[in-house]
Amino acid sequence: MLEPMQSPAADPTDLLHEALAEAAGGFVELRWHKKETRGISVEKGRVDNATSSEHSGVGVRVLEQGTFGFASTDRLEKGAIVRAIGQARAAARASSRARRERVPDLPAVALARGRFDTPGVDATRERSIEAALEMLLEVERGARASSSRVTSASTSYAEIFEEKGIVTSDGAKVWTRTVRPEFRVVAVAAKAGEMQRGAEAVGVTGGWECLFETRSAAQLAEKAAQQAVDLLDAGYPEGGRTQVLLSPALVGLLTHEAVGHTVEADFVASGSCAAGRLGTRVASDLVTLCDSGVSEYHDGAGGTMFVDDEGVAAQRATVIENGFLRSYLHDRESAARLGVAPTGNARAWEYDDEPLIRMRNTYIAPGTSSLDEMIAGVEDGYLLDGASNGQADANGEFMFGTREAYRIVRGKKGPLLRGVNISGSAFDVLQTVDAVGAEFRWDLGSGHCGKGQPAKVDAGGPWLRCEVLLGGRKS
Amino acid sequence: VSTRTVGRERALGAESQHQREDELLARCESLVAEALRAGADEAEAFAAHADQSLATFEKGDLKLAHVDEGSSIGLRVFKDQRLGFAATNQFDHASLASVARNAVALASASPADPANRLPEARPITMVPSLVHPGLAAFGIDESVDLGHTLLTRAQAFDPRLSVDGANAGVSRASRAIHTTRGVRAVESDAMVTLSIAGMAVDGADVGGFHYQSDAVRDPSRVDAALRELVDEFARTSVENLAAQRAPNSYQGLVLLSPDAFLDLFVAPVLAASSAIAVQRGRSALGKRLGDRIGAPGFSIADAPEDRELAGAASFDREGQPALHFTLVEDGFLRGWLYNGYAAAVEGRASTGHARGGARGAPGLGAHAVCVPGGGGGDRAAMLGTLQRGLLVQRFSGSVDPASGDFSGVAKSSRWVEGGRVHGPVRETLLSGNAYQLLARIAALGTTPERVDGSARAPWALVDGLSVTAG
Repeated sequence: MLEPMQSPAADPTDLLHEALAEAAGGFVELRWHKKETRGISVEKGRVDNATSSEHSGVGVRVLEQGTFGFASTDRLEKGAIVRAIGQARAAARASSRARRERVPDLPAVALARGRFDTPGVDATRERSIEAALEMLLEVERGARASSSRVTSASTSYAEIFEEKGIVTSDGAKVWTRTVRPEFRVVAVAAKAGEMQRGAEAVGVTGGWECLFETRSAAQLAEKAAQQAVDLLDAGYPEGGRTQVLLSPALVGLLTHEAVGHTVEADFVASGSCAAGRLGTRVASDLVTLCDSGVSEYHDGAGGTMFVDDEGVAAQRATVIENGFLRSYLHDRESAARLGVAPTGNARAWEYDDEPLIRMRNTYIAPGTSSLDEMIAGVEDGYLLDGASNGQADANGEFMFGTREAYRIVRGKKGPLLRGVNISGSAFDVLQTVDAVGAEFRWDLGSGHCGKGQPAKVDAGGPWLRCEVLLGGRKS
Repeated sequence: VSTRTVGRERALGAESQHQREDELLARCESLVAEALRAGADEAEAFAAHADQSLATFEKGDLKLAHVDEGSSIGLRVFKDQRLGFAATNQFDHASLASVARNAVALASASPADPANRLPEARPITMVPSLVHPGLAAFGIDESVDLGHTLLTRAQAFDPRLSVDGANAGVSRASRAIHTTRGVRAVESDAMVTLSIAGMAVDGADVGGFHYQSDAVRDPSRVDAALRELVDEFARTSVENLAAQRAPNSYQGLVLLSPDAFLDLFVAPVLAASSAIAVQRGRSALGKRLGDRIGAPGFSIADAPEDRELAGAASFDREGQPALHFTLVEDGFLRGWLYNGYAAAVEGRASTGHARGGARGAPGLGAHAVCVPGGGGGDRAAMLGTLQRGLLVQRFSGSVDPASGDFSGVAKSSRWVEGGRVHGPVRETLLSGNAYQLLARIAALGTTPERVDGSARAPWALVDGLSVTAG
């Protein structure tokens, strides 16, 4: 059994509070943040990685002379924290001359107090790493044995425990614990010198049972291996603007990449395509899009959190309601500038990172259509599934990768084609939505968002019918 | 082998740097001893220390002044040829003892692998001057000033520029390794880092997002690097305004910037050249060693001795010498990249390509990628060769390293007519297969350019890409 390397004997916020009292003055935010990762990866019967790591420390943010200063210490000791507060103040003072527009004092808001644990923390800690290793080896072996064309397979499992204590000079005092396990399987198949890859991944906020609640590790591996083999014989879709059915995984990428980033208040302030459009129509009236710290509709969404890293409750923000843009995503500073309540979107990756505006669980609310009805309504288009990577620009232009494509002609789904990247302009694409499925799924797998710092996020929704630009081969 | 950064200029900060290096080595030695006490047969401790001052700008204004210092240590052990790894940033005895016990516990749970053994010590030739004495006193004040200059220059270029984010700062890092096979090495490095990201906005027209970054070790180069960075960012962003859809889709020649060429064609070759990928049967180039895989004139080298690139280093993550290595030469595939594990599988020496930091077990990869120039002339000459088609400055998409298939958006791209840039285009997708198209590199620019301070590559004209107009 692996042992935690270091853990406070008591509520860490008491010590933070003591340090804050000793160095009182102005706005101070203290965040003790411990991240513990246990991970194993296996390829072709060999263990490539068997890791246990733990990193912890206290991040200090102060607001002094209208400027934020940040410093950190890796010691959970009062003296070290007080020194870090001094360093953060010195950094803020030294740099305030370069600050053109002073940050106003942060207005009073309701801040969280108490203890908040997401489910599965203790049960996951008690589960032996040996059991996980055994499962990985067995599942990887199974993926390789599934077809003579599978030349290689790999599996990996990681569980990330996070513990935070957040204390601010204006009243936050919270202690949170979270666990986020992840599983990933990749299979490579080959035929006549050509290779194709299949991949499946799942990541949740919760325990082992939650991770494999919908599909077992063996089922995920079988799907990845089958995908790799099938893609060897698949052709390429043709490129161009076309009607598509996006799976919940791709709807998740669409909501995150195409819309979510453009409504982060820091991007809005820089002139993103969502700037100045509150209250206007940006999507068809079938579209309601939210970002929430809560795992709506189904348990286990990977970005679930009760309190953000400024001590604000991570409530649901309705970004688009029946097609109309209703809200941006805020931290305390951006909310104060717009005179609205913060939405609980301030997140930091580790103790030595400052909080940034980040998404949590982003989704389109389910509608009423069945998948069969949606396919039947397509005259000429594609059904796309399997999320790969994605990116978006502030102007709303997005791209993301798909793993599988199926041509639909006159309401009939054809054979598998190779996945391609799709692109479009966020709000233009959402205006073309003419059907929204009833079945909802969180499906960003083990994906993380990158915006200077990584962040564990989730996204999903129902099947969605819309128009995008498809990057095909025979243009 | 016992190596340290000898022969460096001693100046302000040099003493504390040496003190820190000694401290890291001592921590590594202590953790290796702890691992042996916990039952390990072999042990490798790798420690890293970094301090940074960083000024972050957002929305054209200072956002945050960030000062930070921290260390991490990672322990890899083998017990009965079974692997375990643990890491922490806590250096008290109890935490280190816990790291040792966890690494050994993980090893006890893992299956045995005959290639699980640490590499022997080999002589290391240190790359000189990775720490310039002029950066010793560079702190948050200098970072703020530098960032302010960067921002002011961008804002003066064109009022339509919206700087979404910019960073300026200095990072100083040291890394040390000690193993039971006699590897003992330490090295420090210091760099000024600059980055800027954003777009131009003209009324309702929001231009395509663009970013530039650089890393510079020589303080006398910082001003010039800043000017080049900002001017390139500003010019490209402003020229992204008023983008139109490309006039037509086609399959044929595309002119790629060094950045786009690295992403589309060099990165998959590097991934497929991992000896582990070859051994495990997932490298598309696995059976092509010695074959022609690219057009004549196309070469790829790893140059860890190149001090102008961020990845310059004297030794790799396993304390093996980091040496110049030619991967592709004049179109022919010449070798694979090996770390200690991959080398042990074949009973040969590592090529010094173990990569990573203290928080994970060693991986595999190149340090500082260089693609030499060809005979294609400058950018204007290559536009003349293209005559009509697409110029791509950045690729936003995915390349599957197994198949080589790529698909994604051509960012900051331009339509070319009559050998001249006609104007910016938007919503244009690129696709193709990297391994198949390597042979269709029609021309490489004469002079390679530094890309983000981390690689060198020339402009490249490649035939056979599919361009889908929006």
